[in-house]
Order: sequence, then structure tokens, then C-alpha cells
Amino acid sequence: MKLELGNFYVKDIVFGDETSFNNGILTINKEEALSVVKEDEHITEADLVIVNPGDKVRLVPVKEAIEPRCRVSGGAVFPGVTGKLIQAGNGRTHALKDCSVLVVGKHWGGFQDGLIDMSGEGAKYTYFSQLKNIVLVADTDEDFEKREQQKKNHALRWAGMRLSEYIGNCVKDLEPEEVETYELEPVIKRSEEVAKLPSVVLVMQPQSQMEESGYNDLAYGWDCNHMVPTFMHPNEVLDGAMISGSFMPCSSKWSTYDFQNFPTIKRLFKEHGKTLNFLGVIMSNLNVALEQKERSAQFVAQIAKSLGADGAIVAEEGYGNPDADFIACIVALEDAGVKTVGLTNECTGRDGASQPLVTLDEKANAIVSCGNVSELIKLPPMETVIGELQSLARDGLSGGWEDDEILGPSVKEDGTIIMENNAMFCGDQVVGWSTKTMKEF
Amino acid sequence: MKKAILYLNQFFGQIGGEDKADFAPVIEEGLIGPAAELNKKLENAEVTHTIICGDNFMGSKQDEAVETILNFLEDKEFDIFFAGPAFQAGRYGNACGVICKAVKEKFGVPVVSSMHIENPGVEMFRKDVYIFQGGHSAAKMRKDVKTMATFGDKILSGEKLLPAEEEGYFPRGIRHQVWLESKKPASDRVVEMLVKKLNGEEFETELPIPKADRVPIASPVKDLSKATIAIVNTGGIVPVDNPDRIQSASATRWGKYDVSNMERLKGGEFKTIHAGFDPAAADANPNVIVPLDALRAYEKEGKIGKVHEYFYTTVGTGTTQAEAARMGKEIVEHLKEANVDGVIMVST
Amino acid sequence: MVKEIERAGFPIVQMANLVPVAKTVGSNKIVPTISIPYPLGDPNTPEEQQWKLRYHRVGVALDALTMDVQEQTVFDVKF
Repeated sequence: MKLELGNFYVKDIVFGDETSFNNGILTINKEEALSVVKEDEHITEADLVIVNPGDKVRLVPVKEAIEPRCRVSGGAVFPGVTGKLIQAGNGRTHALKDCSVLVVGKHWGGFQDGLIDMSGEGAKYTYFSQLKNIVLVADTDEDFEKREQQKKNHALRWAGMRLSEYIGNCVKDLEPEEVETYELEPVIKRSEEVAKLPSVVLVMQPQSQMEESGYNDLAYGWDCNHMVPTFMHPNEVLDGAMISGSFMPCSSKWSTYDFQNFPTIKRLFKEHGKTLNFLGVIMSNLNVALEQKERSAQFVAQIAKSLGADGAIVAEEGYGNPDADFIACIVALEDAGVKTVGLTNECTGRDGASQPLVTLDEKANAIVSCGNVSELIKLPPMETVIGELQSLARDGLSGGWEDDEILGPSVKEDGTIIMENNAMFCGDQVVGWSTKTMKEF
Repeated sequence: MKKAILYLNQFFGQIGGEDKADFAPVIEEGLIGPAAELNKKLENAEVTHTIICGDNFMGSKQDEAVETILNFLEDKEFDIFFAGPAFQAGRYGNACGVICKAVKEKFGVPVVSSMHIENPGVEMFRKDVYIFQGGHSAAKMRKDVKTMATFGDKILSGEKLLPAEEEGYFPRGIRHQVWLESKKPASDRVVEMLVKKLNGEEFETELPIPKADRVPIASPVKDLSKATIAIVNTGGIVPVDNPDRIQSASATRWGKYDVSNMERLKGGEFKTIHAGFDPAAADANPNVIVPLDALRAYEKEGKIGKVHEYFYTTVGTGTTQAEAARMGKEIVEHLKEANVDGVIMVST
Repeated sequence: MVKEIERAGFPIVQMANLVPVAKTVGSNKIVPTISIPYPLGDPNTPEEQQWKLRYHRVGVALDALTMDVQEQTVFDVKF
């Protein structure tokens, strides 16, 4: 499988007559773009706003981030989700770099939604403050979940994907500035030179804990709750096979943008043939019942062993009871003789004194940690808010609250906010961006 | 100028050696022994008083010693409290830890000590006190006092405190997120750690697995047929209007709900406010989390004496251990009052 | 929370799906449940079966309260 990712670096985004890309300038025809958004009649109101790093803008509730792309070799960017099912990870895909489509609720947020500050002290808490963003701010008639804490955000998330694909299409026929090539030989047909290196797999545990459909991460449109771990080519992940869900407390979440750019996968590719033999990805999941957790761990260990893996990285999209899946998987791999490193975040509480993961095991002796979900964050008011600031307090965002005996409400009258890291949009960047770690005090 | 007070044992307090180890606590205005050195090194505070207590007195009459010293401090103004350095002296280390912990709890001021890594006081009190890694013996007095003073100055000036490893005190089991100066992304860190692990090289985990803390097993219920059984749950089962406004994650509140006239919990009257899972099943039938119906059946059969009038609720997700422990203690008071004999905790 | 209640001398049994979590937090008596959202009754099964399961496991928990155990114990369940 050979994937060519053609990169177009966006220096500026403007609205104009024709959606096009020229010399680093991405021009968007707003009307046309909004008509793509409104193809779904559930979208009742929609607007597009361009925000740049350094802008005095606060975005909340942010629901999704997607990199604008098009599939040059034909077919939908997200097979099985926005179009027919085809194999991802092979052929040519073009991407607009340094920018993302952000989907923001005009009013209503939920447990899984987050906040982004484009400048100031708050900017460091999310990856997306350093990107140029095309922000879709919209509302829907999905009244059944308007007041629900858990939202599927279906109309908005799908509108974001359509929009990203519409924008991405403007570079379909252009020559990219740079082409990244990702290719792996079949596992058992690698040159001796590569085959003698330590073989490793990346085990991904995307969020899949809702039993009802519509909330979980999808693999080619298939709910990850309904699968047992399987072997995937890393190119598939980089090329739209995986989309983000709408369930996990936001700082732990992996957005679709994160899947499309998964830094740990890219890093393993870089090491492939030099220090490691990168076998591929074991796509696992996160479960609710102990037996499901154990079953997945058992499948992962067996696949890794059968593939001949010497080492593994296990990455978890979540915290709390998913830590049990994470630790079980690491223990199963270690027991199978696969040397394993974990990649996750922690929940040590606002005071930092709680046990970092809900289950622990001495066999998990190598872990990279990307942050504390419950770290308290206080930020001054921001000039412009896109979306609705009150959603942080009112709608049960995982890091916000309506009232607290000591701290008061999350949103103060002057626009100051106090929140837990939990509500920072994809803030812990467990996919590999994170420059945060955890230290003892 | 801010004010500091220092605690010393009989030896460093210049009372005497082992023969004076039963010396009862005293407080002296001014600087005795190492207090002078501490005062010299401290820039943001002056040392106003020295407290001296014999190590054996603190060891054998701890409550009396602590009470006496806390009484000394009642009418004193001070912004920070120091004890030691205690070097490798075990009893002295214990004394420094005990008094620092008590002073911190009572007056809420920062407390700083210094001990050698093998001093048993380190393991006993590292969670409660900033204990700096000090020398083996009094030969390191100046250096250890300087370390304590430098850190004290830093706290008093409100400067940002660095992680334990960088400051030089023993980690207190408190973990916070920090941004790496190297800006090295997790993707690099994880792959490098894996390569090292595969090559059998040394690596350093970013999450050392802490040792488990255990509680003695309570003695069992003797006669179940006469016992009052209570249900506690962390699954967020509350009356539909959530009267105690228990948070759906990171809870700091709990509630107790009267079920003395109920055979079972009805959907529509009770629901779950837990945000960590699909609520549909528990909303439809709250007994799947608070099994009142099953307990009533056992009550009728005479297997248990009676079901406690109330059940207790909070939410487990993201709740800190400190909050959970506090809520646990509060619930315990109610259980005691109601003469509950045994508890079933259902967690989600 | 379990620890605080046990520390106060109350015999306590934890009914939990995530047995490894219960063990990690230091529960001494553990009775497994079937899942996180519905510990004691799978809504996809008939009422009767849910009741049988709940009645059985609560019974095991009650018996566990009377047992004199020396270490962390996970009690077996049949249904």
C-alpha cells in the first residue's frame, strides 16, 4: 500500500468569488461553501468565520476539527462516511496544510465539546490555536438532544466533513508543493535489512464506549463499539478511514484532524527501516464491560504475537474506566513477551493528588503522559467569542460547571472563565503532538 | 518583612545530648543554634522564634508535644514554618514531620524541612511536608539550611515552584501537567522510549506506578438476619430533579435519599446523572445500580434484618481521591448514626 | 470511598464491573457486576432474567459481608 499525501501550505485564508488556492492564499466562496453545509436540511443556521493564530477569539463549543482534503485518485475523503466504501491509504490525496475546518455550535454544547483560545494564555492548551481555521458556526434542529449532555452532533460533524471536502477539492488538479510518501511492504515480504530490526506495532484504542450508535469513533463508517481488534495499514488511518466520535471529555478526544495527521504514526514511519520495522496498526477499541475489555486485550496480544512484534505502543483515547482497557492491553502484550510503551493522559484531580489512572499494574513500566484532565485553568475575558460562552457552564461540558461552592460558575459576568483542562478542545494531544508531560510536585 | 519560626530538637537547640531527649517543648524569642544561620540566609523573612523539643518527648508523648507547640504558636504571627535539618537522625526526622504536618493543618502555612534520603521521616511525611534531600550529618548544616532558606524565599515571594525533582525536595505524590522546555512532542518521546526498551537500555517512565495503600479488612457481619444493610453507589442515581445538584463528573457533592416506603426504585422518579456512560438502562430501571428491589426481597425472606432507610449517591468519574475520601467520611457519620451493620457499594 | 467506610470499621462489599479498578483502589471484598451502565441487569434480556441476576449477585454480596477473609477477595457468581 502506497499513499502519497500532496501538501499545499496555506499562508492566508480569505473570502472571495471563487474557491481556489493560489500562491498560498486559500480563497473561499462563502455562499457556495454554505450551500454545501446546508445540503443537510437539519442545519438551520450557518456562518463561516476565518480565525488566525493571535486573533483575540475564543471558540466554544467546538465539536470537531478536520483537515481540508481531496482524494485525487477518486472517491470520498472519508470512505463509508461521506461517500461509498473504498480502500483508503492507497494512491494520491491532497491536503491543505496549516489550516483546519473547525465546527462550532452556535448555541448548544455538550460533554464532548471543547474550547479553543486563539491567543493569550489559553492558546497553549490546544493544538488548533496555531492553525488558520475556517470556522463553521451553525445550529441544527436536532431538538431531541438540544438539552442532552451527550450529543451526537451528527448534522454539524457531517457538515464539517462536507465543507472540508468542498474546500479541499480546490487543490485537486494542482501540483503540490511537497509530496509525503507512506509505504510499507507486506509484513512477511520485507528486505532482510528491515526484517532484522525490532518489529513494532502501534495499538490504537479509539473511543467506542457508547452502546447507542452515533457517538463513537468510526472505522470506514463502522462503529468501533461493534468490532474486535483488527490489523490495519497505518496509511488507512492517515487517509480518512477513521473519523472522530462525539463522546469523550474533550481534552482526551482525538479529532478527525488528529487521525488524519496522527503524529505517532508519522514518527514510526520515520523510524521504519532505520531503528525499527513498523509492522502496522492494531486497531483496538475501548469498552464498557470488563469482559469486553479483556477480550480486546486478548485479541491485540494475539495479533501482535502472530505478526512477530517485539514491541508495541498502546495509545488510549480517554481516561477513567478506559484506563482499564489501556492497562489490560499493556499487561496482555507484556505477558505475551511484547515490550510495550503506553501513551495516555492522567486524571490526578484538581489538587494533583489522586491516583493517575484508575487501574495500575507494575508491568506498565513505560508510559508517556500528556497531561492532567482535571487541571484547573483560569483565563481572562476574550474580545470575541464565536459560539456561545455560556455553553461552557450551562451545557455540561466536561470541564465546565454551572456553579461550584468555592469557584462559582465557570463563566463569570465579565467573560473570565474558570474550567478544567477536560474541556480544552483535544487538549491533551495524546496522538503525539503533546509537549506537555506530568511531573511530581 | 515576613516572619518565620524554626523547630529544633534538644541537641541542635543547645539543651543537651541524649540525656536531655525527654526535654519538654519550649519556645524562645530569637535565634538559637541553626536559627541564626537560617535567618542569615533567608531574604524574604526573619526568624522570630525558635521552638525546641526533646526527640524522645515528641516520640513518646506526641499528642502532648504537638498540643503544647500549637498553643505556643496560637498568638504568634508567622508566614512559614521550618524544622530541622534532621540529617539521618530518625527520631528527629519523625519529630520534624509530625510538627510540620500539624502546623500546616492548623495554620495553613507552608512547612519546610530537610532530611537525608535514608531518614525514615522521609517516607512517613514526604506527602505532607516539603522535605529537601539533605546531608548525612551536621557537617552539611550550612548547605541544608541554605537549601531550605532558598526555597522558603521562593514560596514567600510567590515565585512559580518547579517540580520536586528540579527544586530538590522529595516528591509529595502530587502530579501536575507541565510543558517541557525541550518542546519534545509525545510522538518523539514514545518512540524513543520504545527503542530504548527494545534495546534493553535504561529509560524513564513518565508515570511511575505508585504503591497501593491498603486498609485493614473490617470484621464481618456476625448475624445477617439482624443486620441493617445500606447501599452506597457512585453511579449517580438521584431523584429526577437532582435535589442536591450532584455534578455529573468531578463530583464534590453527594446525596442521601429516603426509600423507607419504597419496594423498588421506579424509572421516572429516579435517574442517573453520571456522565460517563449511556444512561438509558439505569434511567429505565434504577434498580440495576441501586438494587433496592433485591434487598427488599432478602428483607422479606429474613436473610437480612432490614434495609437502611436511605441510600447514598455520588458520581465516580473524575472525582478526586481527596473529595471521595471526604465524602466517604461524611457518609460514614450518617451510617454510624443509623447503626448500619454492613454496606454494599455499587460502582459504575 | 470504600476505603473510608471500611476504615471506619463497617464491613463493606464493592459490587463493580471493573474488578481491576476495585482491586487497585483497595477494596477487600469484591462481587463482579455485568457492565458499567447496568451493573445488575442487562436491559437486552427479559425482566425475569435481570431479576434473577440481580437477586443472585446481591445475595452473594450479602454473604460476602459475613465472610472472614484475610486478603482481597473476588467472590464467584453464577448468573
